[in-house]
Amino acid sequence: MIQIQSLTATAGRAHILRGVDLRIESGRILGVVGESGSGKSTLALALLRLLPGVTLGGRITMDETELLALSEPAMAAWRGRKIAMIFQDPATALNPLFTIGTQLTDVLRRRGLTRREARRQAEQALRRVEIADPAQRLHAYPHQLSGGMRQRVMIAMALASEPDVLLADEPTTALDATVEAGIMALFDRLRTEFHGSILFISHQLGLVAQFCDDIAVMYAGAVLEHGPAAALCAAPKHPYTAALIACELEDDGPIVTIQGDVPDPTDTPPGCLFAARCPLAEPRCAEKQPVRQLAWQVACWKAS
Amino acid sequence: MIELQDVTVRFGQLRALARVSLSVAAHQVTGLVGESGSGKSTLLRVMAGLICPSEGQALFRGEPIAPERHRSLAFHRQVQMLLQDAPGSLSPRMTVRRLLAEPARIHGLPQTRDCEPLGEAIQGPPAPPPALDPLFKRLAMTKRTKDQPIHDPILRRLGLGESVLDRYPHQLSGGQARRVAVARALSLNPALLLADEPTAGLDVSVQGELLNLLLEQHQAGLTVLVSSHNLNVIRRISQQTVVMYLAEIVETAPTAALFAAPAHPYTAALLSANPALDPSRRRPRIALSGDIPGILHPPPGCRFHTRCFQVQDRCRTEPPALRPLLDGRTVRCHFPLIAPP
Repeated sequence: MIQIQSLTATAGRAHILRGVDLRIESGRILGVVGESGSGKSTLALALLRLLPGVTLGGRITMDETELLALSEPAMAAWRGRKIAMIFQDPATALNPLFTIGTQLTDVLRRRGLTRREARRQAEQALRRVEIADPAQRLHAYPHQLSGGMRQRVMIAMALASEPDVLLADEPTTALDATVEAGIMALFDRLRTEFHGSILFISHQLGLVAQFCDDIAVMYAGAVLEHGPAAALCAAPKHPYTAALIACELEDDGPIVTIQGDVPDPTDTPPGCLFAARCPLAEPRCAEKQPVRQLAWQVACWKAS
Repeated sequence: MIELQDVTVRFGQLRALARVSLSVAAHQVTGLVGESGSGKSTLLRVMAGLICPSEGQALFRGEPIAPERHRSLAFHRQVQMLLQDAPGSLSPRMTVRRLLAEPARIHGLPQTRDCEPLGEAIQGPPAPPPALDPLFKRLAMTKRTKDQPIHDPILRRLGLGESVLDRYPHQLSGGQARRVAVARALSLNPALLLADEPTAGLDVSVQGELLNLLLEQHQAGLTVLVSSHNLNVIRRISQQTVVMYLAEIVETAPTAALFAAPAHPYTAALLSANPALDPSRRRPRIALSGDIPGILHPPPGCRFHTRCFQVQDRCRTEPPALRPLLDGRTVRCHFPLIAPP
């Protein structure tokens, strides 16, 4: 279980995260959606404290440990061990100079395994992500694998350390559609074996709706709506979520757009961040920040 | 409008297009789908005259597209292409303002005010440009200053404000660069637009604006060939869909029919991989075995047989031909999912 309370990230005058509250229970998958620049990736990197030059505020609590209060060496021990991450582009996330066997056993040896045991488990890890001939593949270099295969290796590496929290930042964006379908089928299968929490970041609402238990919709560094996936997609309560769903082009009728621009990160508007583009906005929206309702969190004055 | 006849494109050993025939009727939006390496971009580049076919020929309005050094500017004015790497397609040494004026300058069109040809493109046939004496024209060009307001409807609709005009490409976001490229391509009022992944990297809120613009231009007479990974985009804007796999066309069909019932197993797998928000629209996921084979050594027989879920012995040896089905479809499969006539 991981709890995020009023998490802020600022770089100079830019507000990248503006007070994010989220909670992922063990065994749940939280999907984070939003357009580029909404702070999705920053959120994941903030959980790992991998944001040089960015000041973090608020609280991130995991197993009663306050991550933001940990010393740097203590945090380094958490990274990859308790919190693992799968990056968007497996081609650049893997080291081209080492075989995937070396890279996988490195991760396993952090758990204190012997070289031989690590080798054996590395083979198992590859089998788990449905790679054929795992013993052979351990000797392959990243460039000898296809994109889908590389991402499977990344997933195997992330799961090898048996983390409590898995962060997946757009894990299929760099892949082709049918390869993506294969990776998502793998995720579907792995979720039954994995008991930790998963934070799944994507700009594809459809993908998140199919895979995740809950969805958090981010906009300009804030979570505007957070609720159960199926219900949120069927009946969104925030106008921004509704607009995003309409933009997916699933329904016929006129093609929908959201007029206007995302607020400047250096701005701190007093009211709702979406007010300037919101079709339902009224005067108070621009004046006062909407209060979140707790059961199903929607930051909007008009939500009832 | 544009036609490919048995076009093969070779890059050394690699066949990027293998005997592709395709005819695109005027005033149609044709969607091109397929995964990386399937040959979509090569096909578009052949049509734009950027690549010469190794075999076969490409015809524009019944005339073969001439090799580059014999080609007239008029061809390029009528056929415009949006390249997939939009930021890379803009010269890093020009401001957006100059980039937008460049097509008109190259084609010797009047450019009295910033980007006015753009405004005409959307309103149909251009009004005759006001006669300007050369000196005044030069003055008008040099007096272009930052504060000059921009009245261009396309730029505004694409969300390119005045603040963007004096920036260089590296100062633009990927989405902005793409929108500049679109504005440039449409500024010449072309007859055919070849758009290679025009919505890739665009946020959904901006994507709609671009698609609406393309649809409007189509209604005004533009023929469009658009490739996309996003099947919803293709479904919404095209009348005809072409599906490619490993340098070949595997299915062509009217878009509505294709999305209602795919005939080729690959098309079925592709459609099933399209995530849907509405649970009632989700298709059972068809997980294909393995990865896309390398294009250097395409599998013998049917190129899809290594991943096909209904592969039979015949598929492994005998390459299927592209053959017609009902209602204007063609499919390259021995055992299509809908019955042949």
